[in-house]
Amino acid sequence: MTLLTYRSAAIDIEPGEDVLSALLRAEIDAPHSCRAGVCQTCLHRAVEGAPPAAAQEGLTEAQKAQGYFLACVCVPKTPLTVIPTDEAAARSEVIVRAIDRLSGDVARLYLEHGPDFSYRPGQFLELITPEGLGRHYSIASVPEEDPHVELHIRLHRGGRMSGFVSEQLSPGDRLHVAGPLGTCFYEGVDPGQPLTLVGAGTGLAPLMGILRDALRRGHHGPIRLYHGARERAGLYLHDPLEALAAKRENFTYVPRALSDPGPEGGDVAAAVLEQELALKETAFFLCGGERLVGRLKRDLFMKGASLKQIRSDVFLAAN
Amino acid sequence: MPTLYERLGGAPAVDAAVDIFYRRVLADGRIARFFDNVNMEEQIAKQKSFLTMAFGGPNKYTGKDMREAHKKLVAKGLNDMHVDAVVENLSSTLRQLGVNEKDVLEVAALANSVRADVLNR
Repeated sequence: MTLLTYRSAAIDIEPGEDVLSALLRAEIDAPHSCRAGVCQTCLHRAVEGAPPAAAQEGLTEAQKAQGYFLACVCVPKTPLTVIPTDEAAARSEVIVRAIDRLSGDVARLYLEHGPDFSYRPGQFLELITPEGLGRHYSIASVPEEDPHVELHIRLHRGGRMSGFVSEQLSPGDRLHVAGPLGTCFYEGVDPGQPLTLVGAGTGLAPLMGILRDALRRGHHGPIRLYHGARERAGLYLHDPLEALAAKRENFTYVPRALSDPGPEGGDVAAAVLEQELALKETAFFLCGGERLVGRLKRDLFMKGASLKQIRSDVFLAAN
Repeated sequence: MPTLYERLGGAPAVDAAVDIFYRRVLADGRIARFFDNVNMEEQIAKQKSFLTMAFGGPNKYTGKDMREAHKKLVAKGLNDMHVDAVVENLSSTLRQLGVNEKDVLEVAALANSVRADVLNR
């Protein structure tokens, strides 16, 4: 029985040898630098078998849960199948079960998936059209409670995926997805610690998944969800979230629409920086465009938040 | 006799120091531009390897690695003044964490030992 497999190839590994050395000896161009388990350049992912705990030291709980490990300090005792972290995700077929509109420019898609597609709320997947066009979307549903995967799709005028979703796609259609991907989910959070979720636009989708996952797992610390949009209509789950806040004592909803002159108007990042006080103790999830996430991450860190406690997912605009 | 790395508290001490150190560096107008990477996680990982080395912890860096890693920064103007500023921030981080002065000096000496390689001299 072979101790180390890379993708699908058996790799020769000596007793006591680390995975990185074995990969390099097999002439696999594995990235590396410190070779001491510190710099994380040699990060790999185990898709079969469990890497020893020593090889996961310093990684986030979400990374550990996904099988990530440091190859340079990983001396496997039991069989391990490893892949590089940028390996393309597995593809599977899904069936469109429903499409509706959450607002003028946000569509909601429900996809039926097979048993081999398992995910954590907040992860994302690549949605692939029959023509091969692919776009990333975060998952808003919770697998234990929802029969289908829920995605929120921002419709851009002239966007190719937007046109496909709003004009061509109908219930019953079959599509492919690749994934799930990403480590922005509820893991490594203490159920009693403050949990702050910040999203702009359809950055609300992963936050809805994370919020429901946190509640389902018994999170009892204070939870605040900030949602930012340009227009009021972009606060597309305003009423259900307000209703949830009225029902749940530990949940607060803070909506901010940039163009709104009322009390729910203004910049969502400014609201976060003004209202968040227990920065050192809080677990943050930031989801949205690069500017918002980058600015908030830096500002929260500089004001005292621990970088380890800031999970983020940047939505990149498609070209 | 415990090593410097053991005295400082090993990997957990590096973890405790890295946020404080990186925050100080980003707030230091002399050097912030060299560290202001969009990918903060990547930066933190790099700072952790630097701190581990400076704490006398396990590392297999060679002079060649150091030169390669800093080549681009030297081209952007990295010089002795910037290395001084990094060592200064490192020392004040350790003092903030209550490390004794003798160990602070020992860490500063280790950090200074890679100066020539970092500056590609």
